[in-house]
Amino acid sequence: MNKIFIIAKKELATNFKSPVAYIILILTISIFNIFFFMIIDENREVSLRDVFRVMEFMFVFLAPLLTMKTFSEEKLSGTMEFLMTTPTTNTAIVLGKYLGSLIFFTLLIIMTTVYYLIIEYFGRPDRLATLSGYTGVWLEGAFFLSIGILTSSWTRNQIVAAISSYTILFLLYFSASFTKYFSGPAETVIQYISTLNHLENFSVGLVTTADTVYYLSGIVVCLVLTRFSIENRLWR
Amino acid sequence: MILTKNVTKYFGGFQALKDVSFEINKGEIVGFLGQNGAGKTTLMRILTSYLPATSGEVIIGGDDVVENSLAVRRKIGYLPETPPLYSNMSVKDYLKFAAQMKDVPGKQQHKQIDRVLEECNIGDVKNKTIDNLSKGYRQRVGIAQAIINEPEVLILDEPTSGLDPVQNLQVRKLIKSLRHERTVILSTHILSEIEQIAQRVLIIKSGQIIVDESLDLLLKSQNGESTLEDVFIRLHSNTAESIDE
Repeated sequence: MNKIFIIAKKELATNFKSPVAYIILILTISIFNIFFFMIIDENREVSLRDVFRVMEFMFVFLAPLLTMKTFSEEKLSGTMEFLMTTPTTNTAIVLGKYLGSLIFFTLLIIMTTVYYLIIEYFGRPDRLATLSGYTGVWLEGAFFLSIGILTSSWTRNQIVAAISSYTILFLLYFSASFTKYFSGPAETVIQYISTLNHLENFSVGLVTTADTVYYLSGIVVCLVLTRFSIENRLWR
Repeated sequence: MILTKNVTKYFGGFQALKDVSFEINKGEIVGFLGQNGAGKTTLMRILTSYLPATSGEVIIGGDDVVENSLAVRRKIGYLPETPPLYSNMSVKDYLKFAAQMKDVPGKQQHKQIDRVLEECNIGDVKNKTIDNLSKGYRQRVGIAQAIINEPEVLILDEPTSGLDPVQNLQVRKLIKSLRHERTVILSTHILSEIEQIAQRVLIIKSGQIIVDESLDLLLKSQNGESTLEDVFIRLHSNTAESIDE
């Protein structure tokens, strides 16, 4: 348990020592700010529903950037050999890495709560819908990060890791667009796989078990696969 | 201390180690010798539990490397071929991280870091970022990391490769000073080094141990061949017949 926090702390420290973390934070927040202004200006309603949609779309691009180096860099520099010969379980290594990027991502989400304060000041927003929207966005980001960590454990090349997770995320995100070409059970499956449909519920204040299970099980599956991946010595 | 029985390792169809067996006692300093690609690094990785052997058994200090891998890892200090350093950390931060990862109790961490800084003679760069260190310093930081938990077994994979003669001497001196109370295994293909440090040599050729002898005996038994280099070259020339122990 302790090791998980040690690794997470190291991950965060490494992140904030390089300018990349700040660039990502500032850039993302700036883009969110612009969209927030545009959406509020256009819709003229005190709701963050469309802001959450934009955030979700942005996370498709952001998550691989945040996670691409988690394992690939360690493999490239040989520090993976160090980590894996210390008395630390593989589970702790994976969870520590995941927790590190999750905290960074949560920080980003916290920075956007300013939007809620703004709409609260100017109107009477639906508080529960906002809260559930944030929960949804956070769960979605957490899921995307776990996919990024999984692909990062496959390779020692950061670019390959990023492209792999982009491929998976695009497939997940845009799969809803392909439903019209399918019918029957295939359509249902694709509907279920698409992240878009799940976040939709959250952003209008609908927290369902199916959606929550979708995200949580996705996270667990990715982390378990990551653990297998670093255990499998053939990849190294 | 270290018991290896019939260890075999395949990478796909390639056999990297063939039926390797040996025993190393506490306090011994053993040199693994062999050409590049002979299997030294693979063998070391198996000893440190980083790689599992395809078949065979390795027991270190009474614990099986596969079954009790965490217990084994607590007893081992390992320096891989490229020192495993986080280039954006300072030396001190890195050693602190290593101490935490290796279960050094919180109260002792500070003391242990000071100790290895002094033993490895890297106190003057403790606040520097690892990225800015010369190769000699990096190598010594790598060794510092390996000994931070006072391991009973020290495994060093080519600790002096790529160093200039002065750095080489420093690292060699360091290894000599570390051998008290410890079992040390090191690999190298610089033979004069082994002659100065090790008491016993294991010569590995294409995944097999072809010589396992104390250095003195080995040099004595070779008529007319006074250095390890002569022995090594003869063993690796095709005309000479290979000798078994």
